[in-house]
Amino acid sequence: MFDTHMILSIAAVAFFGAVIGLDRTAVGQCMVSQPIVAGPLTGWMLGDPAAGIIIGAVLELIWVLDMPVGTFVPADATISAVSATAIAVMGGAGGAPLPLIGFCILLTVTMVPVTMKADSIVRHWNSRLTDAVMAASGEDAGRALVRAHLTGLSAFYVKSVLLYLVFLPLGVAAVYLFKQLPENVHRAMSLFVKLLPLLGIALVVRKLSMNMIDLFLLSGFAIAAVAGHFFHGQAFIMLLLVVSGGWLGARFREWHS
Amino acid sequence: MNGIRKKVSVADLLGVFLRSLLLQASWSFERMQSLGFAFAIEPVLKKLYPEVAEYEARLHRHMEYFNTQPYLASFILGAVVRMEEERTASLHASDDAAGLKSALMAPLGALGDSFFWGALKPLAAAGAVALIMTGYWWAPLLFLAFYNVWHLGLRVAMLFLGYTSGGNAVELMTRFGFMKMAKRFKVITLTILGGIIAMAPDWRPEFQPNATMPVPFLMVLWLAAVLALVAILRRGGSPIKLMLGLAALCLALAYAGVIV
Repeated sequence: MFDTHMILSIAAVAFFGAVIGLDRTAVGQCMVSQPIVAGPLTGWMLGDPAAGIIIGAVLELIWVLDMPVGTFVPADATISAVSATAIAVMGGAGGAPLPLIGFCILLTVTMVPVTMKADSIVRHWNSRLTDAVMAASGEDAGRALVRAHLTGLSAFYVKSVLLYLVFLPLGVAAVYLFKQLPENVHRAMSLFVKLLPLLGIALVVRKLSMNMIDLFLLSGFAIAAVAGHFFHGQAFIMLLLVVSGGWLGARFREWHS
Repeated sequence: MNGIRKKVSVADLLGVFLRSLLLQASWSFERMQSLGFAFAIEPVLKKLYPEVAEYEARLHRHMEYFNTQPYLASFILGAVVRMEEERTASLHASDDAAGLKSALMAPLGALGDSFFWGALKPLAAAGAVALIMTGYWWAPLLFLAFYNVWHLGLRVAMLFLGYTSGGNAVELMTRFGFMKMAKRFKVITLTILGGIIAMAPDWRPEFQPNATMPVPFLMVLWLAAVLALVAILRRGGSPIKLMLGLAALCLALAYAGVIV
């Protein structure tokens, strides 16, 4: 199960995934760490970008509005997306089938509380860094500040590497067990992937709208449904029409109020 | 700035911008972004305060508690740089940088969370997911490009606005209209989400149901499912619990023979 290629792949994902993960909090926040980017990047690195694209799209909707407000530490969607993609591709050996993708997404959901706890530990540990800088004096104060700050950055990086080094082998072992499960479980996981986008959409609607039945959601549905008759198969044009409709709706609401 | 010898150059401000990208590198529960803030303006402080004791005092002064939305921190950084510059020109004898920071960080934090996390990010994500689900593999690149044009553009602009306005929050609100744009973006996001459901016939094969059914029926079924899930979510429940619940439902359906 764990040959040299597999071990090297796990190590590569751990180091590469942790670099992407820095974007979550520590560096830039340019959204490279979002599942919709991290998933395809991981899949591309391991030779199956399609698996990463599916996992990334699904997890993006699920976690997009889990916001880092105040002291709240949100779920680490980067580790979820990278781990799910890597486990699916490594366990799939030559193309991850849909049931396996579903299983890997489910598997990484169970990892979320652990990632949140690990993040909290790092943030508690970082609290000590200020003391080292305050103790420094003269010109050394600036150097001590840079050292302490980059130590915090390293702590975030090391945390992610360690989590990957634990999660990925466990995940690959779990995939081995999953393959032995009855066909009904595989069918269920296939359906799970197909239904997850609906759950993701519902989660975003719930947070963006106060209404049980949102008129803008229904407007978008109606525009795309009608546009589908004329532009079937041309989703980009349909999306542009939907966005235009949304923009007009927003302006109408401003004007109306 | 009339009559004041300008010590901070555009290059210095761009340096602050680059360092501000690491604002949260040592984020901690106790002082949050304090080290990051001091790290971002440290080169400017070094330039403004050649005397070591004064430089050290100012550096330590900026390591007090600080937390705001990381992008909008640019505005505060710009304002503080301006204040430090004026202080060295003896225009601000008192140390009111702390007051400025504490006055701005909470409201700007709320504003930034609402606009960037609550409106811009879901809009970019919804658009990219719509394209991915209909087979456009390059949608993640579009997501990055769309988001970062706003993100990086506004971050640089706010840094310079903070510097030139001296931290005038009214000017920030007037110039950028974050609240109005956030409302618009949220409406467009909701519209796109409705559009994604209606595009079900064009979804990638991986997301298509195994059973063949009439297209209008499929679209309405998916819409009803989303509305039902929204109703369930209003009664409470975390994403984790819902995903586990959904997996359990799928297993039950598989064992009941409903799906083949």
